[in-house]
Amino acid sequence: MSAQIELSNIDKHYGAFHALKDVSLSIEKGSFVALVGPSGCGKSTLLRSIAGLETITSGTLKIAGQTMNGVPPRKRDVAMVFQSYALYPHMTVEENLTYSLRLHGVGKAEAKVKAAEVAATTGLSALLKRYPRELSGGQRQRVAMGRAIIRNPKAFLFDEPLSNLDAALRVHMRKEIRALHDRLGATSVYVTHDQIEAMTMADHVVVMRDGVIEQQGSPLELYDRPVSKFVAGFIGSPAMNFVPGTIGPDGMTVALEIAQSLSLPLARHQEPGRKVLVGLRPEHLVIGEPEQATLRLPVAVVESTGSMTFVTTSTEPEMTVVETRRTTVRPGDTIGVSIAPNQVHLFDPATEKAI
Amino acid sequence: MARFFNSMRDGIGFDLILVGAAMVFLLALAGLPLVYNILMSFQQVDMFTLGDLFRPLAGLTNYVAVVNAPEFWLVTKNTLIFVFTSMAGQFVLGFSLALFFAQNFPGAATIRGLFLVSWVMPGLVVGAIWSWILAGDFGVLNTILKAMGIIEAPIFWKSDPNFSIWAVVIANIWLGLAFNMLLLSVGLAAIPRDLYEAAELDGANAFQRFWTITLPMMRSTIGAVLSLGLIGTLQQFDLFPALTEGGPANTSNVAGYWAWQMSFKLYDFAKGATISVMMFVLVLIASVVYVRSTRHEVRG
Repeated sequence: MSAQIELSNIDKHYGAFHALKDVSLSIEKGSFVALVGPSGCGKSTLLRSIAGLETITSGTLKIAGQTMNGVPPRKRDVAMVFQSYALYPHMTVEENLTYSLRLHGVGKAEAKVKAAEVAATTGLSALLKRYPRELSGGQRQRVAMGRAIIRNPKAFLFDEPLSNLDAALRVHMRKEIRALHDRLGATSVYVTHDQIEAMTMADHVVVMRDGVIEQQGSPLELYDRPVSKFVAGFIGSPAMNFVPGTIGPDGMTVALEIAQSLSLPLARHQEPGRKVLVGLRPEHLVIGEPEQATLRLPVAVVESTGSMTFVTTSTEPEMTVVETRRTTVRPGDTIGVSIAPNQVHLFDPATEKAI
Repeated sequence: MARFFNSMRDGIGFDLILVGAAMVFLLALAGLPLVYNILMSFQQVDMFTLGDLFRPLAGLTNYVAVVNAPEFWLVTKNTLIFVFTSMAGQFVLGFSLALFFAQNFPGAATIRGLFLVSWVMPGLVVGAIWSWILAGDFGVLNTILKAMGIIEAPIFWKSDPNFSIWAVVIANIWLGLAFNMLLLSVGLAAIPRDLYEAAELDGANAFQRFWTITLPMMRSTIGAVLSLGLIGTLQQFDLFPALTEGGPANTSNVAGYWAWQMSFKLYDFAKGATISVMMFVLVLIASVVYVRSTRHEVRG
């Protein structure tokens, strides 16, 4: 495996605003990389820098081994799927698909054959003569994908391509894009603010914050071993609970401020008496009998989706517990909750880094 | 009865009142004069029948007389030169400026706004200013051309039969430039940025992007600008009295000014009306093109 896209020490300034700060990232050939983070974190800027739509202030950008700083987008041989799809409204679906081929001097007949092939893989065969305004959101999305596929580019860049679709279609297109990626063996970079999209689609997730890569790794790595409170809170749904606590005198337990009398066992020894922030994932908290549990929590709200029940406690700060079994817990009850020692995450309250 | 008043406040009656008010206004101020003008072109009109509505019919004699007038073909040629070179100049320069200001450099919007000064000024004032600029012996244009070595002897723009029509064309291009630029700027601004980005990634260079994205996306705007340009140029009047008065020897006379001369200088109202009707047909064709081009707007 070789790096298809190689970013070294990329910086980007917009006037006084520092959008990307010393970003280094290596994207393997054939991998699916998701750039994820809250809005304004620089993920789109990074993607647009790879495309060449933004110039980078300093650093080196290589695509397939060639330095691309200063190379115009049309010579980078990358394809992009825009959030708005950016279909050419005055062209039919077929003309949209073949636009790049026609620009590169491919003959009409050959372009038509290729368009038919791509239309077949993206389910657009019946729509080739239509104009974008006559298509539904999902169909437009497919045209945007087809327009990228037809060129067989060095890399596919996706800029939040699913955010304009409704929830059901989004789940469907998620699978379709991933399947397409696997079939083409393409290199894909996918920008999203939706951590579920990133987790489900990508081989490698890059979490960004304020122009810096906060953490990168496989989806489960980020879920199991977040390096900071930010990543821990961003990955996983519903979000991780954070409660202040103090390490016990033996160094193997932590007492939570919301339940002083009981403490959670830890997997590793910590400095006794240290103030920490304890991270507990809602799905790792197991409801049991109050007497046997490690934590006793008063219940404020119970919400059931049928398959799952979300229990919110009336503690300060409040905590969320996810229960997948049927439960009779009601608001006002006190529940007993326990958690496995290796599922307790500890963070430094000042630096918010994992301990 | 109550039902009737109800429909006046909220229903079909209210709609009819709104449409009716606009129609009455339009008919009284545009429709009737138009019909009266057409009627007059088929009548014998003299100073004694000016106040009448029904005058002796003249059939097509007014039209025959206008076409047979010695200056008819000269005026027709001048009108064509005036309309097409003015439109071409306004459009090409206006589009270039619109593209230039669409580059969004610092101050672009402000400077573009300043260009509107030419459009705000009355045509008569513009004509007076250009009359000074184009003056033969002390005009600024001649001074510049001489200094640059392009001409040796001064050109008498307004009184030389070879240049007189161009004097009006130059002033008219300047006058209509801002309007063209403004409409085309709006059209350019309506094209989504990401279409250009997509085209750039698809491999289109600047010229290809202009040819395959900008021009087709501007189709309806360009249609509107050209039709309005045609109407505006045919209507242009103020510049003629200010610059050349159609002279010398009708070498800068155009249909609109000629119609005015017929009616209000020679008091031959029938021929004046006839010329206007002929122009009206031209403008009507342009209007149909305009309406059709705005109806077929491409929307994303």
